[in-house]
Amino acid sequence: MSALPMIAGALIAAPLPVAAINWHSLFFLLFASVSCGFAVAVVAADNVVRMAFYLVLSLGATAGLFFLAGAEFLGAMQLMIYVGGTLVLLVFGVMLTAQAPLVAIKGSGRDRVLAGIVGVALLALLLQAAFSVKPWRAPAAGVVAEPAATPIGMSLVGVRVDEPAVGAPAANKRPGYMLPFEIVSIHLLVVLVGAAYLARAKRRKVPRAIEVAASVEPPASVAEHASIGRERHRSGSVLAGGRP
Amino acid sequence: MDLGSLLTSTLTDTLEVSLPLFRVELALSATIVLVLLCRMLPVLRWLDSALVALGGVAFALWYAWSDLRGLPGSPWPAVVAATHPASQELFGGLLIFDSLTAYIRFLLAGFLVLYILFTKISGIPDREDGADFYTLVLGSSLGMCLMASANHLLMIFMAVEMASVPSYALAGMLKGRKASSEAALKYAVYGAGAAGVMLYGISLLAGVLGTCHLPSMAAELGRIVGDGADSFYVADSAGPIMVLTLGGLMMAVGLAFKLSAVPFHFWCPDVFEGAAAEVGAFLSVASKAAAVALAVRVAFGLGWLGDAADASAAGLADVRHFLVYLIGLMAAVTCTLGNLGAYGQTNMKRLLAYSTIAHAGYLLLGVAAAVAMLGVDPEGCRKAVTALAFYLGTYLFMNLGAFAIVAVLRNRLRSEEIAAYAGLVRSNPGMVVAAGAVLVSLVGLPPLAGFVSKFLIFSSLVEAITKGIERPLMLVLLVIGGLNTVISLFYYLRVLKVMTFDPPPEDRVAAPAPVWLPGALVTAVVVPVVLLGIFWSGLYAYAQLAGTFAS
Repeated sequence: MSALPMIAGALIAAPLPVAAINWHSLFFLLFASVSCGFAVAVVAADNVVRMAFYLVLSLGATAGLFFLAGAEFLGAMQLMIYVGGTLVLLVFGVMLTAQAPLVAIKGSGRDRVLAGIVGVALLALLLQAAFSVKPWRAPAAGVVAEPAATPIGMSLVGVRVDEPAVGAPAANKRPGYMLPFEIVSIHLLVVLVGAAYLARAKRRKVPRAIEVAASVEPPASVAEHASIGRERHRSGSVLAGGRP
Repeated sequence: MDLGSLLTSTLTDTLEVSLPLFRVELALSATIVLVLLCRMLPVLRWLDSALVALGGVAFALWYAWSDLRGLPGSPWPAVVAATHPASQELFGGLLIFDSLTAYIRFLLAGFLVLYILFTKISGIPDREDGADFYTLVLGSSLGMCLMASANHLLMIFMAVEMASVPSYALAGMLKGRKASSEAALKYAVYGAGAAGVMLYGISLLAGVLGTCHLPSMAAELGRIVGDGADSFYVADSAGPIMVLTLGGLMMAVGLAFKLSAVPFHFWCPDVFEGAAAEVGAFLSVASKAAAVALAVRVAFGLGWLGDAADASAAGLADVRHFLVYLIGLMAAVTCTLGNLGAYGQTNMKRLLAYSTIAHAGYLLLGVAAAVAMLGVDPEGCRKAVTALAFYLGTYLFMNLGAFAIVAVLRNRLRSEEIAAYAGLVRSNPGMVVAAGAVLVSLVGLPPLAGFVSKFLIFSSLVEAITKGIERPLMLVLLVIGGLNTVISLFYYLRVLKVMTFDPPPEDRVAAPAPVWLPGALVTAVVVPVVLLGIFWSGLYAYAQLAGTFAS
């Protein structure tokens, strides 16, 4: 009967294993492996809906990495824009439009091998690049997460209240971001108009000249010229790199 | 510094320094909003979008002209007093206003005026699509103006995206045509890939250099390259230099995509063939001018820090050496493959797409010469930039003319195949003469404008050779440029041969189209091609002004 308090006493006296865990490293490994693993899964999957879901998980874990690095604003934006955007895409874009022939995306074996070679080569190059810069290898001394929203908000109206980063070049100009913030709204307006234009159904009654051109068969002599030319074109298409 | 004084200095910088030199972009933005408002309000719906856009663009042109005239040493027709300094950073260093900015903006605004008239006459877009079309065109042009003046990696990326994304929608403007949708999709996917690679490169550069502001980056770059090793290629300092090289190459991918330089040109023929000729004109002229300006901006911004000779100067010489070889190699390959690819094309728009690629190569030859002489021979460098600016000015008329002819003939013949143009000289002699002038000018034969601009580019290469600057490369580039001019002769002249000597198809269905308005349009665009070949001093004076920006 006396063993129980002894074990309890030993448990309390022993340094808690929980305290020994480096939580920062643990979460980093967790988020990083989720992010990379599901990124690979996006590529490996054949089903569009699954791909989109894996993408959400991968992007969400990336947001976790940003939080760990002390960039809370960036992490929140990542969640809102990328994760939220992909979710909307998943719900509306994929699930509503995915018909049977469009759900499965399968590349040919040759494509997969080629893409694999290119991807692995690029990965090797980038890894080597990332690890070859000395300042990038050492862990940053004590990442301190500061409330980052105020300086960001101020810089978006053009005033930089944050201190320059340690080790930044002395002559560095640090402009506020009012211009990009404002000009991107014009850009978004234009792009929305473009998207609405492409998505809108046609209301046209009289066909345009170019549509008539597409529907009218060209005269016989023209067709003959064109077929001769096409032969020539095909022989030149290695250089052209375009559609044969 | 307390918040009050920070706010005051920001306000002063924005309202008194930056916005007065930002009027062209403001005018374009206001026009976009106005075009959309006129569609929304029932009272104003009778107003044609083209007219609203034309009015706004006329304002932009006026502002661009007065900005250009207000530069010190504005030459022609008479010297006037300068109203603003030769070089001025705007918005705390995000943009820069100098003679190159002013010149390219003026070209873009002038092009837009001609372009809106052209689209109005050629009938695409129709009235219903007008508001969307002009909004996209103006939004894209806004991005191009920013490309010409970007001085910060953030603005470079944003400007490239602002110029590209509306173009994707423009390429798909002919809804219901398979080729057009395919063009838009290819362009968008390719563009997204190029933008992603470019962004990765930007992040590598910004990560190593610790800043995004181009002159600050150059100072840091010179220090790292100068410190690290004697040259780029020493193995010991492979760390940052390898990353910087990789970042630079990845950034070059994005710029090469905008320039349609080989090997990032694959989108170009398909997009030009699938999209309407009007869209092709916009992409080949405006987009190219802005992309060349941005390439010059980036190469000069990263490769030169002014005359201050300090520790970083030697490092920057190595950077320039790298850039010259990168740009020169790309120029040689682009020229050659563009011209060879143009052979055997049966579609006129596809042929013009390859011609556009080839001309991007010629322009890059000029950029290579300019970067080679940068900092070594200021006079020669200025001449090379002058040649580039002049080339862009004449290229505007040449390619706008070429696409206007394609559009007018499409409306008349219902076809864009070269074979359909057979024997056109019998029914439309005027159009064939105009096509002859444009195509011969694109080859670069005297006495047309294309000859003068090509001559200026080649003479700046010769200047670099005679002064012994990067001699082997410049010699190779000169030979390749010359050979390419000969190669290009054949495929341009083949079109003229079909138009004049081949018998017209007996079953031609020529649509009854109004003659005088398209005729006037083509004349208005083609006459400058001839005139600029003879009286080129006016444009050359302004090109020289643009050339002063680096000094």
